[in-house]
Amino acid sequence: MSEQAERGGDVVLKLSGVVKTFPGVRALDGVELEVRAGEVHCLLGQNGAGKSTLIKVLAGVHRPDSGDVQWLGEQVSFSGPQAAMKAGIATIYQELDLVDELSVAENIYLGHEPRSLGFVHKGQAARQARELLGRLGHGEIPAHRLVRSLPAAGKQIVSMARALSHSAKLIIMDEPSAVLAHDEVGNLFRIIRELTAQGIAVVYISHRLEEIREIGDRVTVLKDGRTSAVNLPARTTPTRDLVSRMTGRSIEYVFPPRPDTAPGEKLLEVRGLGRSGEFTGIDLDVHAGEIVGIAGLVGSGRSEVLETVFGARQAEAGTVVMDGRALPPGNVAAAVRAGLGMAPEERKSQALLLGQPIYRNMTLTNFSSYATAGFTDAGKEQAEASRVADTLELRPRDVRRAVRTLSGGNQQKVVVGRWLLGRTRLLLLDEPTRGVDVGARAELYQVIRDLAANGVGVLLVSSEVPEVLGLSDRVLVMREGRVVRTAPATDLSEEDVLDLVMAGSLTAATTEEVAA
Amino acid sequence: MSVSSEQKVDNGAVGHAPHPAPAAQKTSWWKDEAQESTRRNLGLVGVLLALFAIGAFIRPDLYSDADWVVNNIMVILTQAAAIGVITVGMTFVIIGGGIDLSVGALIALSGVWATTLATQSFGPVGMIFTAVAVGIGAGLVNGALVAYGKLVPFIATLAMLVAARGLAAQISGKQTQISTDTFINSLATTRPLGIPMLVIILLVVAGLGWVLLNRTTFGRRTVAIGGNPEAARLAGINVRGHTMLLYALSGLCCGIAAIMLTSLATSSQAAAAELYELDAIAAAIIGGTLLSGGRGTIVGSLFGVIVFSAITNLFAIANLPTEVQNMVKGAIIVVAVLLQQVRFSSITQFARRHGLTRAKPQT
Amino acid sequence: MTNPIPDTSRRRLLFGGTAIAAGALLTACTSNEQTPTPTQTKGADTENPNTAAGKAVTIGFSAPAADHGWIAAITNNAKAQAGAYKDVTFKQVEAGKDAAAQRAALDTLIAEKPDVIVLLPHDGKELNAFGLKAMEAGIPVVNLDRAFPDALAYRLQIKGDNYGMGVAAGHYIGKTLKAKNVASPIIGEIAGMDELELTQERSAGFKAALATYGFTVANRRAARFTADSGQKEAQNLLQALPKMDALWNHDDDQGIGVLAAITAANRSEFFMVGGAGSKKAIEDIAADKTVLKATVTYSPSMASSAISLARLIAQGRGMSDLVELQVPKEVILASETITKENASTYLKLGF
Repeated sequence: MSEQAERGGDVVLKLSGVVKTFPGVRALDGVELEVRAGEVHCLLGQNGAGKSTLIKVLAGVHRPDSGDVQWLGEQVSFSGPQAAMKAGIATIYQELDLVDELSVAENIYLGHEPRSLGFVHKGQAARQARELLGRLGHGEIPAHRLVRSLPAAGKQIVSMARALSHSAKLIIMDEPSAVLAHDEVGNLFRIIRELTAQGIAVVYISHRLEEIREIGDRVTVLKDGRTSAVNLPARTTPTRDLVSRMTGRSIEYVFPPRPDTAPGEKLLEVRGLGRSGEFTGIDLDVHAGEIVGIAGLVGSGRSEVLETVFGARQAEAGTVVMDGRALPPGNVAAAVRAGLGMAPEERKSQALLLGQPIYRNMTLTNFSSYATAGFTDAGKEQAEASRVADTLELRPRDVRRAVRTLSGGNQQKVVVGRWLLGRTRLLLLDEPTRGVDVGARAELYQVIRDLAANGVGVLLVSSEVPEVLGLSDRVLVMREGRVVRTAPATDLSEEDVLDLVMAGSLTAATTEEVAA
Repeated sequence: MSVSSEQKVDNGAVGHAPHPAPAAQKTSWWKDEAQESTRRNLGLVGVLLALFAIGAFIRPDLYSDADWVVNNIMVILTQAAAIGVITVGMTFVIIGGGIDLSVGALIALSGVWATTLATQSFGPVGMIFTAVAVGIGAGLVNGALVAYGKLVPFIATLAMLVAARGLAAQISGKQTQISTDTFINSLATTRPLGIPMLVIILLVVAGLGWVLLNRTTFGRRTVAIGGNPEAARLAGINVRGHTMLLYALSGLCCGIAAIMLTSLATSSQAAAAELYELDAIAAAIIGGTLLSGGRGTIVGSLFGVIVFSAITNLFAIANLPTEVQNMVKGAIIVVAVLLQQVRFSSITQFARRHGLTRAKPQT
Repeated sequence: MTNPIPDTSRRRLLFGGTAIAAGALLTACTSNEQTPTPTQTKGADTENPNTAAGKAVTIGFSAPAADHGWIAAITNNAKAQAGAYKDVTFKQVEAGKDAAAQRAALDTLIAEKPDVIVLLPHDGKELNAFGLKAMEAGIPVVNLDRAFPDALAYRLQIKGDNYGMGVAAGHYIGKTLKAKNVASPIIGEIAGMDELELTQERSAGFKAALATYGFTVANRRAARFTADSGQKEAQNLLQALPKMDALWNHDDDQGIGVLAAITAANRSEFFMVGGAGSKKAIEDIAADKTVLKATVTYSPSMASSAISLARLIAQGRGMSDLVELQVPKEVILASETITKENASTYLKLGF
């Protein structure tokens, strides 16, 4: 291949037939990957395609169930992240794993401080840290400064310096540009180029096609835990090719049929909603019986829009009107009273009391309505919760069980069930199927559609494009805090949406290719 | 709006893997939360019995006298009474995700305020009103600092601890204030039906606390806020307002305890109830209250208090010095918490190995 | 949906009103006004030439701020005694909460050049250096109760006798029991804060005195100098000793709680001796209605004496009953035993 001539390093890492399963999910199902010294190898794939699992296998966090990992020509099996790091593989995670209260130098050398007899040579550590930062072109970051006080871009430099401090031969970067402003991305690329010039290999994960075109050498595409294409030339492969290899997922998404009836009266009207740094000028309507979906990448502002509508974040501009009445901004209680309900993205940390029984979780928003003079009525609550549990096909059916014993799908049903008990008329769902295994999804889809059939309006956010398209009646596509397209779901294809969220527009990308 | 039960979700549409069969309706008893706390309480009862056995071994002459034994139990309960009342409040605060370090100081402040000559001139009603009002007032200040001032509970109540002791010293002029009110003083000496009045007060407070925690919306909100504040907020619960009420409740308990302690000592002073906050926290913890919030029981906390009170009593009867007693108390706190952790995790592992419970769901 | 605002505001108003009313009532309740307790001072004595006005002197004074009645009495006594002399200017500085704070306060006092300084240090060892400094600057220092290790650091030391307190209590109990012909008596002891040296000294004296009668302590509990801790320890002690002959309680403040426990337990087969000599204890002894039959003193009246002697030092006068022309260097108060018979004479010294 021509790329080999272009960046002709030796193969440092070679994966073949790597499989990793979790209970209920086959996350990696035969992955192939080949990374050469001095190249930038891009990983592309939709959410849930297995990118995160693959990274964790490379970083030594997960051990593959089967398959072959060759590192520097030898078959290896890392016992843990430390082993991978020792071998020369460093990972920069999306959530930077730095200790805020330690200094830059302390973070860089955390766990492998230059020391003798248990005493850390602070001076030496600081000197070496300055050297590393200088190598990254950021000698101006003071080594003694607390990491807490650095901006996101600075933290990323520190993470990279840490990787270098291990004398890494391969650096994995998981969406490094997601936290950076535009001009900082340029600097990131300059650093990546310097690293590769020194023969260091980089595995680069990003959703932004233009970045891949600019920095990448070769691309491997993941779909459903398999590699659907390996070693495509990053610059010249047409966008349509890349997109088509990411889409058309083999898993059967079975969506309930859309009803023929037109949606009812308007429930929610959002006009000009904005929060600085998150999103601006959002207009959207939801009618009774209608499912409206928002598609977009992580960081496009979609979850933030949902939380702002609900009042969990305070709107800085614009209005949220429910049933013709404006909702006070930043007031969840008022939103709940007006008939809104939300199933947040992080089920466990934002919605559930894991140690508490199912019925108490279901009645969390309205247990007062079963109470007489402040005294709760457990029998009535359990009866009502059981009724909803029947409707939702909740398993196990015993509503006195602690929620933490349920599977992800059933936990999600508990959250949805909570709003069914109340007088909720508009349900906001943020990633409703995250962590829900494939089988249970169809049930959730049916539940959501049944809700709509009963006149509930649904506003839905998902990073899985087929889900948004298959479940919604209307779709809003968001990119960088703005709605770039609104259309009936039937008018959009998966490719259209992917292209919109990743590059802006198909036509624009094609023109670029022609120009290149 | 709600979905009627006639609407069945059509889940046969997809060829997805069948769910694991619904677990048997009868859950393994150690997995059940209620049973878990029952087991813990039984453990504390075991400790009490062991303490009794040790006492009987050391002083058979005393323990063979039934009247003495009954009286000694009443003494242990009487000494648990004031701390028990504040531990009820403390349990609420801790379940709600906070901590109240100011309880000892608030007892001193309430007690001193209620025994000034001016207050005593209003009679027992005035004294009780003052103690309770001061307790609630200081509790509200704690709550406001935590809920609206965004102070860490540890810091806010630590500040209150220092300030309340200072104010108490100021009001009392650093003197021990003697209570001359016969009604208040008689609380410690009367024994309706052979049970000391203070013990009855403790039982009433604990009973009300149990109902409040387990049977009311207030209790439900407390557990929700401590268990997952974000979920509680998104469920439309007024987290800040409720947090404030929790500290006020703790303050109310301090006011009640102040009257009880005043009655016991027939006096009050700024240095009274020294380190009661630590006793109350320790009792709640060994009673199974989770320091991070979201879980705890009134009965467990009560047993925790009684265990401490029984240890103090046993050491006096065995004529062993206080310093040894404090070391044993410390050891018991550590051992109790360690035992709880070891026991539950190992049992869960055992159960899982033998297929007695469902595997932990994938996260 | 109804608008909840008017409802809440009415509730708030109601609540606010109640809160203000309660606040006003509570504020009124902090008053402790009563007929002033006579402080322990030495009044003008025409027979004594030393009471005649002499050279005007300024006495600096410092004592720790503690929430214990005894320390409060020390400060009150010193102030009152100084007020009794027309030729004395009393200058008190706040001692703060620890030795360092007290040192800082005293340094400012030195700068004001008083004729003599009377102080009760937080810690004798830690303030030793200050004593030396003041003496070098020509300001005599009168040390109250907590001795400086260095003899050059003070002009006069006046203190109580903790060991002697225990001895006095032991002798009183020993003699009384011998007189009653109790063969092997059961004696209880409720000490103060066990980590303090003074508590250890008191217990050692008590033990030694009892030993001369062939008696021992059957059970000893340590309380915290507070009434509630005294009550708790006494209640347990009474359980441990269902029959007792005598009890010594180190401190009359915690004794309030001890007596409450004894009353509640309905016990009266023994007699009790107190410690320190509080006004309440002396009154109880005089009334003879409780088991408290005696108390051994550790009187804060030493502060009054310290001021009197400091004045004499500053004026260069001696104690007129002594042959020496100057005040002696050390005065250790004897621990006196107050019983029903002499209670009336000691009542004015109770604090």
